[in-house]
Amino acid sequence: MIIQDIKELEEKSIYIIREATNNFKNVAALWSMGKDSTSMLMLARKAFLGKVPFPVIHIDNGIDFPETYKFRDELAKKWNLDLIVAKSEIKPEMSGFACCGANKTVALKKLMKEKGFDALIVSIRRDEHGIRAKERYVSPRNKEFKWNYKNQPAEVWGNYLSELGKGGHVRVHPLLDWNEIDIWNYTKQEKIPMNPLYFSRNGFRYRSLGCTHCTVPIKSNAKNIDDIIKELETTEVEERAGREQDKEKSYVMEKLRALGYM
Amino acid sequence: MIRRVTLLGHKDHGKSTLIGNLAIITGSVTEARINDAKKTSKKLGLQFEPGFILDSFYEEREGGLTIDTTRAQIKYKDSAFEFIDVPGHEELTKNMISGASYADVALLMVSTKKDEGIKPQTKRHIFIAKMLGITKLVVAINKMDAAKYSEEIFEEIKHDLSEYLSKIGFDRNNVAFVPISAYTGEGLIKNSKNMSWYKGATLIELLKKMSEKKEISRIELAVLLQGEIGRDKKIVAGKVVSGVLNNHSQIMLLPGKELFTINDIVVRGGSTNNAVYGENVAIVLDKEPKNEVRGKVLVEKDMKKKAVREIVAMIFFIRKISGHVSLLINGSKIDCMNIEIIKTIDIVTGKESELKIIKPLGAIQARIRLNKEVFVEDFQEMPELGRFVIYDNDKFSGIGVVEVKK
Ligand SMILES: Nc1nc2c(ncn2[C@@H]2O[C@H](COP(=O)(O)OP(=O)(O)O)[C@@H](O)[C@H]2O)c(=O)[nH]1
Repeated sequence: MIIQDIKELEEKSIYIIREATNNFKNVAALWSMGKDSTSMLMLARKAFLGKVPFPVIHIDNGIDFPETYKFRDELAKKWNLDLIVAKSEIKPEMSGFACCGANKTVALKKLMKEKGFDALIVSIRRDEHGIRAKERYVSPRNKEFKWNYKNQPAEVWGNYLSELGKGGHVRVHPLLDWNEIDIWNYTKQEKIPMNPLYFSRNGFRYRSLGCTHCTVPIKSNAKNIDDIIKELETTEVEERAGREQDKEKSYVMEKLRALGYM
Repeated sequence: MIRRVTLLGHKDHGKSTLIGNLAIITGSVTEARINDAKKTSKKLGLQFEPGFILDSFYEEREGGLTIDTTRAQIKYKDSAFEFIDVPGHEELTKNMISGASYADVALLMVSTKKDEGIKPQTKRHIFIAKMLGITKLVVAINKMDAAKYSEEIFEEIKHDLSEYLSKIGFDRNNVAFVPISAYTGEGLIKNSKNMSWYKGATLIELLKKMSEKKEISRIELAVLLQGEIGRDKKIVAGKVVSGVLNNHSQIMLLPGKELFTINDIVVRGGSTNNAVYGENVAIVLDKEPKNEVRGKVLVEKDMKKKAVREIVAMIFFIRKISGHVSLLINGSKIDCMNIEIIKTIDIVTGKESELKIIKPLGAIQARIRLNKEVFVEDFQEMPELGRFVIYDNDKFSGIGVVEVKK
C-alpha cells in the first residue's frame, strides 16, 4: 500500500472543504463514526479554526454497534459538533443492498429535503473500492440522488465548481486522494479519537465499519495504531472484504452509487 | 511524494494495457484483482487483457472503451506513481482534460500497428497537455511486438512526431522516446533482448526522471483568496501561490488596492509566522474588506502590477460557443463582454492562420474583454493566476491560458 505525504493530503482536503462552504449555501457532512469521516471532521476543524462549521449527520438504523453510539456521543460533546441523527427503520432480515442502500438513502433523502442541504460532504476514498476511483471531488446528484457517472462535470486544475441540477445536490469528497494507511498515519499524528472496534479483541478487529448486520471482523492482533499500520503495509486483502454488500462484487457497488448510496 | 502521470493517446493504442501490466509487473496489485481481470477477459471471450485490472464501469469493459478517467497507484523501488488513465475518444475530451490537469508528466502512447500510428487525436492530446502546463513528455512507441521489434519503424514515428512537438513548442530536452510492448511487458521496467538496438532507459526510469518536482522559487507574493471563514469578515481563507506570506506584514488586495495589516496566519490549524507556496491559510486582517474577497489576490503593498479588464489568452474549445460566455478565473465566474480573435491555430497541423472562426477542438489566440477587473499573471510565470475555464450558457466549453507581454 502506498504511503503518501500527509501534509500535501491535508492541504488538499482543507482546500476542498473550504470550497464546499464557499460555493454552497447549506452544507452538511455525513458522519458514520468510522475512521474516515472522523478524520474528515479533524480536517474541518483545522480548516475552520477549531470548530466544524456545518452539521454532521448520522443516519442511524438502530443497529450500529454499542461502541459506536458511545463514541459518537462522547466525541460530539468533546468537539462541540452540531449532530443530526436521522433515524431509518430497519427490519430484522435486511442486509446488504436493502439496508445500506435503499434504507439509509430513504432516511437521508427525507432529511435533505427537510433541511434543504445543497452540498453533502462524504468521506469516501479512491482506494476503497473500484468504482470510487472514478469519482470527482465535487459530484452532482439529481433529485432522485442519482449519480450520472457517464457525464461527470469537468474538474480542471482544481476548479471544483460544479453545477447544481434542479432540486439536486452535490457530494463533496475531500478525502478522495487518501489511502487507508494515510488515514491511520494521520490519526496517529493528530491523536484523533477512534472507535475502539478498530482495535483487536480476542484476535479479531474491524477494518471497515458498517452496522452490525453487514460488517464482519477480520483476524488480526493489531491492538493499537502502530500495529494497524504495520499490518496494512503487508496485507494482500482488500479493505472492504468484510462488507456484505461488496460480496457480489460485480458492479453492485456501481449500481449502489448510481442509485444514491454513499 | 507521489508522481502523477497522465496517459495520452488515441484509443486502442494501449493505455489501459500499459497501466494494468505495469501494476502486475511491479507487484502493485493484489492476486485477487488479477484473477478478477482474468475471469472477466474469459467471460468476454478474450485473451487476458491486463487493462481489466483498472477500475472500470460495466459499459467500459463491455464496450472496450474508457469513458472516464481512472487512477491507479504503482510502486516501483522507492518511487510511487499515480497513473491517470484518460479516454482517448474525442467526444470525451472533457474527461481527458479533467484527468490530465492533475499530472506532473505525460506518457503518450503511439501504436506501431499499420492502421494506428500518429493520429489527429494523438496530436490533440499533446496540444491539450501542453496547454494544461505539462512540459515533460515520455513517448512510448507501443506494440513493438506487432512490428517485429523494428528499429526503423520506431525511428520513423519518432521522427514524424518530433517535428510536431517542436512546432508547438516542446523543449527537445523534455521529451524522451522509448520502444515498448505494453502487452508483453518489454521495455517497461527492463530493456528487452528483442530490442537490443535501443540503448536508452526503461519506461519507468524515464518517467521517474521526468517527474522530478522542480523547486518553486518565485519570490513575489501572491495569495489567491477563496472566501471568508465563518461570519467574521476579517478572517479570510486563501492559498499561497507564490512567495512567502509573513505575519504582521502590510499587504494589498487586488483588484481594489485596499491595504491591510496581517494580525495572524493559521496553517493546518496552527498559528504561524509565515506561510509558503502551496499552503492554505486563514488570515486575520486588521479590518474587514469592503467587498467580497473570493477571486481576489493579496500581494506586496507596493506591487506595481495592476488588475485588468482585458486579457490576451490562448484558448482551446471543446465545443462551439453560441450564447452567454463566462470565464471561471481565480475561482470565480466573470462574464465575457467580447472575444476578439487574433489568430487561429490548427492543433493537428500546428499551422496558424488569420481565420476568425471558433471551431470545436480548435484553438485561438484572442483578446477578451471582461465585465469586471481581475488580477492575472502570465501562465508560464505563475500558472495558478494565469488560467481559466470557459463556460457557454453554463456549459463547460474549453480552457484558456493568459499571455502577458513582457
Ligand atoms: N500486440 C500488442 N497488442 C497490444 C499491446 N498493447 C495493447 N494491445 C492491445 O490493444 C488493444 C487496445 O488496448 P487498450 O489498452 O485497451 O487501449 P487504450 O484504449 O489506449 O486504453 C487491446 O486489445 C490490447 O490487448 C502491445 O504492446 N502489443
